[in-house]
Amino acid sequence: MVYIQSIAHISIQEPFEEKWFESPLIYKERYVRSIEPDFSEFIAPMAARRMGKILKRALATSLKTIKDTSIEKPDAIITGTGLGCIENTEKFLTAMLDNNEELLPPTYFMQSTHNTISSQIAVYLKCHSYNSTYSHRGTSFDSALLDAFIQFQLGEISSALVSGHDELTPGYFALLDKIGYWKKGEISEEILRDSQTPGALAGEASVSFMLDKNKTKNSFCEIKGIEMLYKPDKVQFKKTLASLLQSNGLNEKDIDAVIVGISGDVNNDSVYKNMHSEFFPDKPLLWYKHIFGESYSASGLGLYTAATILKNKKIPQHIVYCNNVKNINPKNILVYNHFQNKDHSLILLSSC
Amino acid sequence: MAGQILVTGMGIITGLGVGKENTLNALLSKRSAINDLKYLQTIHKELPASEVQYSNEEMYKLLGISPDEVYTRTALMGRIALREALEESGIYKQKPGRIAFISGTTVGGMDKSEQYYKDFLTDDTKSAYIEAHDCGATTDLIAKEYKGHFDLTTTISTACSSAENAIILGANLIKTGRIDVAIVGGSECLSKFHFNGFNTLMILDKHQCRPFDKNREGLNLGEGAAFIVIESEDSVKKRGISPICKLSGYANTCDAYHQTASSPEGEGAYLAMTKALKQSGLKLQDIDYINAHGTGTGNNDETEGIAIMRVFGDNIPPVSSTKSFTGHTTSAAGSVESIISILALQNDFIPVNLNFSEKIEKLSFSPAVDMYTNKELKHVLTNSFGFGGNDSACIFSKCK
Repeated sequence: MVYIQSIAHISIQEPFEEKWFESPLIYKERYVRSIEPDFSEFIAPMAARRMGKILKRALATSLKTIKDTSIEKPDAIITGTGLGCIENTEKFLTAMLDNNEELLPPTYFMQSTHNTISSQIAVYLKCHSYNSTYSHRGTSFDSALLDAFIQFQLGEISSALVSGHDELTPGYFALLDKIGYWKKGEISEEILRDSQTPGALAGEASVSFMLDKNKTKNSFCEIKGIEMLYKPDKVQFKKTLASLLQSNGLNEKDIDAVIVGISGDVNNDSVYKNMHSEFFPDKPLLWYKHIFGESYSASGLGLYTAATILKNKKIPQHIVYCNNVKNINPKNILVYNHFQNKDHSLILLSSC
Repeated sequence: MAGQILVTGMGIITGLGVGKENTLNALLSKRSAINDLKYLQTIHKELPASEVQYSNEEMYKLLGISPDEVYTRTALMGRIALREALEESGIYKQKPGRIAFISGTTVGGMDKSEQYYKDFLTDDTKSAYIEAHDCGATTDLIAKEYKGHFDLTTTISTACSSAENAIILGANLIKTGRIDVAIVGGSECLSKFHFNGFNTLMILDKHQCRPFDKNREGLNLGEGAAFIVIESEDSVKKRGISPICKLSGYANTCDAYHQTASSPEGEGAYLAMTKALKQSGLKLQDIDYINAHGTGTGNNDETEGIAIMRVFGDNIPPVSSTKSFTGHTTSAAGSVESIISILALQNDFIPVNLNFSEKIEKLSFSPAVDMYTNKELKHVLTNSFGFGGNDSACIFSKCK
């Protein structure tokens, strides 16, 4: 059994808050950076000054989940990050190119590797347990969660801190803009909802989950299962979905809502819409990237959204993409994520 | 539990050459691949390294890839290693059940990004390399080598222990029964970015590295790729093939001390070896050889040595660092050195530690310089440590 005990996020919605659930911040800009909290509550200002944005955010969300539970040293610390410490990477790269490989300061390089995040959390917690980092594009976070989940299954761990972290620098935003990742022009919910063009709202994501094998009164929900697939054909997808549901004593009818990564990118979105119409045509389809934006770690915010619905026992109107069903008390939610129709993940959540 | 985790295929490319046979021959003839730079475009020509002796163009040809396709050096090397691993495992002939492909890298497509970074926004012909920059994109490119279907792919990036942690994830996935076969390892080319990065840390030796030597002055970087096919016992039986050896224990721990230095007592290394041994159920005396992380830096070799002393006490088996042959292949090191350890196991020899002359004072042991011990090798342990104290260990054993 795997339960989500606490969650903390720093994103383009108000940090650590659940205000987005009732009234989300709405953006017209196509590139929005995370709202930074007061870090001094978590990190000494001297130490914080030496850290890049992503590391500060990662430490803050991790320490918040620890504060909200009694788990001080989790049995595993696992991070998913598509780009890692890209701000430090760019700083070192630019300095190297501008100075023709001479007189380079080591700090940016030291804190450029993707595993800086997980390992610095471990240094901070003096935690010697399992420690790993996944960097697999839009399913980096999903990979981290899968790793934790199988270790729970094998009885190797009783708790795990699983996070997704991605920062988006102006430089990398511009590069990804060049290859069509972001919407052109002004953003609105309507534009993203009915989009016939590529590109999404660019955001950032830092989200940490404390998982535990025991349920408490504060638990958000239970993670019943997770499956990851690579370029599945229809038969493989159907088989995997059916086995995920059946192994938990469920079938399609028992799913109260499906939450997906519809982002306003026409190619991305069609995969979700096809899946919904094939397997869950009458069920509410929910989305979250119109309020949190797109990033390599956005799927972590998808899981956060689903877990928050199960904890609060209701689905807010503004995250319903289609098939609104009034007055339901959702019990089972399926979280579906894919990246470029290559890597896919299915996560099954149930209320406690 | 799915029973034993068996090794059924291996593929490798490093400065020592393409393939297991070239690797083995270099180890047996004590021929190091560390030499003057030939391919990497850097001003630091005074620093030696172990480069794969093929240009990118030559690797395109070797693989039969059209020059129009976009590949990074890490992806090209990865495909060469994956091809050999797939061939040996016989996966094309006897298609197994579910297969996962798990690759480790940190540099990813940086070799191209550092070349085109200043042109990316203005030169449309380079745009495809933007999409090829990140670690996951590298795995995607390597996965194209397989003409069958991988059921799951992912990418691990724990710096220099990435490939070792790929082995661990693969083994855990097999144990849960989610997959039958995992192809695990890593790939990393030299880039100007991390060559300069390691240089700013002042841990690159201007000479051939001298792991576990009192007068060691640092590491030499290397590049390479290596993939290992691991498989459930059931799958091996079903396919009717004979395994090479088994993965009998593994562990991932964290030193939790410093971003780029190991704790004085080598706590993470100690825990990794101890946990891997415990999982294997083996006694200390059963381990016949340790392939150390042994980078050749002052800090690593002393603290790893102390950790080995703490674990093994009076039973320290022959220890060597084969980074004196291959250089430090960073994210690929875990699988490169696992394959070297398995070659040692298969051929009953100790890969020697080159360039050793004087023992480190604080250590009770010297590294192995004799290839033959008149003893059959049954169990070998290999260490792989990364920045931030991401320390892992694996034990491979002969199948009885």
